[in-house]
Amino acid sequence: MAVRSILIYPDPILKQVADPVEAVDESAVAVIQDLVDTMVDSGHSVGIAAPQIGVLRRVLVVDVSKSKLGKSNNHGLLEMVNPEIIEKSGSKIMREGCMSIPDYTGNVTRAEHIVVEFTNRNGQLRVIEASGFEAVAIQHELDHLDGLLFLDRVSSLKTDLYRRKSK
Amino acid sequence: MNHFALTIVGRDRPGIVSQVTEILFNQGCNLADSSCSILGGQFTMILILGHPEFTSRESFGEAFKPLEDADLTVALRVLKPGGEIRPQIEGDICMISVYGADKPGIVYHVAQVLGEKQVNITDLNTKLVGTEERPVYVMVIEAVLPEGVEEEDVNTWLAPTRDELQVDITVRTIPTVEL
Ligand SMILES: [Zn+2]
Repeated sequence: MAVRSILIYPDPILKQVADPVEAVDESAVAVIQDLVDTMVDSGHSVGIAAPQIGVLRRVLVVDVSKSKLGKSNNHGLLEMVNPEIIEKSGSKIMREGCMSIPDYTGNVTRAEHIVVEFTNRNGQLRVIEASGFEAVAIQHELDHLDGLLFLDRVSSLKTDLYRRKSK
Repeated sequence: MNHFALTIVGRDRPGIVSQVTEILFNQGCNLADSSCSILGGQFTMILILGHPEFTSRESFGEAFKPLEDADLTVALRVLKPGGEIRPQIEGDICMISVYGADKPGIVYHVAQVLGEKQVNITDLNTKLVGTEERPVYVMVIEAVLPEGVEEEDVNTWLAPTRDELQVDITVRTIPTVEL
């Protein structure tokens, strides 16, 4: 459908809480498709959430299957409407980068295993168990639906925030 | 814009940060990087600041006098142009934790090994914990590994130090992910 441009902080939309999707209708499917197209177009990205393309609705997509860290443990392309984490355990630190905060990465501790409930593109309720990089990616994107960035999760600027490697 | 490095040290008490930053604000300084922390009973501030007109220590006049009167030690370093720019250090980030019974030379011995192998230390903190009878020394290093160096290499290099000093050392790289 369409590759959309990605909002960059300090765009105020990135700090707002997205609204639940009432029904997975044509307009919701269009958002899912735009997210997939934008994620694929951005090349390096493994996930994106609707607020990053300026849509304040609870939709995200994640696909870690093409990445080195996620290729052995993933569910392929995940399209999630109204995702909710219903269980989490363990913890894992990764140095996260975000397309909406270019040039910086930050160390964030997140749950290593999660159980997520969501509605898929066909309007069916699904529950999956994710772990490792896929779990981290889902939690990062889900944060975007609540107006949270990785900057809200770092505990120390001195040791947790880095300027990204020059490209 | 000219840049300065300002360090301030003094007995910890509430209000130091506000006193210092009020002066800097009134002088028209821009704060860039800064790190402030309690070390022992001392509050320490290290700030990189910029000023559009100031060029030397003299430019600040008597601005820091109230701090000295409050028993804080103030030192100002004038940076050469470009001295405020952080160098681009390429490589994987690695955290090294070292801890064990307190004994002289822990920092030196570990730093020596890393230095010989061209591992760039970007952050280092140490703390004395445990009890008075059984003090435990803890050090956490953040370092950037040169190209081609893996977590296991650092472990191997530090193994003799681990045995010699009878300390525990763990090395872990933190994966960088694009989300
Ligand atoms: Zn993000």
